[in-house]
Amino acid sequence: MTAAPQAPPAGNWTTALRTRIVHVVPPGQALPDRQPAYVASWIYVFGVLTLASFVVVLVSGGVLAVGGVAWWHTSALGHFVNSVHLWSVEIFMAVMVIHLWGKFWMAAWRGRRALTWITGVIAFVASIGTAFTGYLTQSNFDSQWISGEAKDGINSIGVGGFFNVLNPGQMLLWHVVLLPVAVGLITVLHIVLVRRHGVVPPIDSEEGGS
Amino acid sequence: MPVLESAGNYVDWGVFHISVTNLVIIGVMIVVFVLAILLPFPKPHEVRESEERRP
Repeated sequence: MTAAPQAPPAGNWTTALRTRIVHVVPPGQALPDRQPAYVASWIYVFGVLTLASFVVVLVSGGVLAVGGVAWWHTSALGHFVNSVHLWSVEIFMAVMVIHLWGKFWMAAWRGRRALTWITGVIAFVASIGTAFTGYLTQSNFDSQWISGEAKDGINSIGVGGFFNVLNPGQMLLWHVVLLPVAVGLITVLHIVLVRRHGVVPPIDSEEGGS
Repeated sequence: MPVLESAGNYVDWGVFHISVTNLVIIGVMIVVFVLAILLPFPKPHEVRESEERRP
């Protein structure tokens, strides 16, 4: 005979965290195996395409970080990984913008999904910042030219004093640490919110319209 | 001294100044967006089977 389960002790932070997680995304909603019929459209695929390409961006960027600047400029494999990083970013930005177009025209902020929309916008803006600092860390004449042009824009908004686009070391660290972490965290929050509120239904369906 | 490559082709239209490459990429993205809305999404295996069984 087994003992009856006891109530968790008050003030147990593990229990509080578990309760909080279950409250944010109820069991079964985190990784659902079924979706409403209206999700059977190609336009709903672009969110996960963005996520998949983001993974390729992170992995190829990690390999570039291991090899270093001299490696990606001089070896055949380095050129290949450098190109994989570039083209996965191109695809990432393209499918993210198509995802944005789709969500804009279906007014995806309906049904208490405003925070989902806002986190998506922040992820988009942070991704642009990450891509721009990526231009500056190529360590070639292209990055030299772009940083020379960018400094006037950055100075015109008054942040050049602590965000110096002519400083390759600072831009490299923003590109490989601060901004990817920011994009990653906001993406996790975005996905948690999508799982919490579900995929937005079409405008003319029963749940939508407000 | 090496001859530098061309800086690319650009389209100028009023205040707009955009490279042909970027314009083509935006055009392809719009085409993909329209196709994503118009093209039918493949149905799951069990849905297809149940539809075939229906008289």
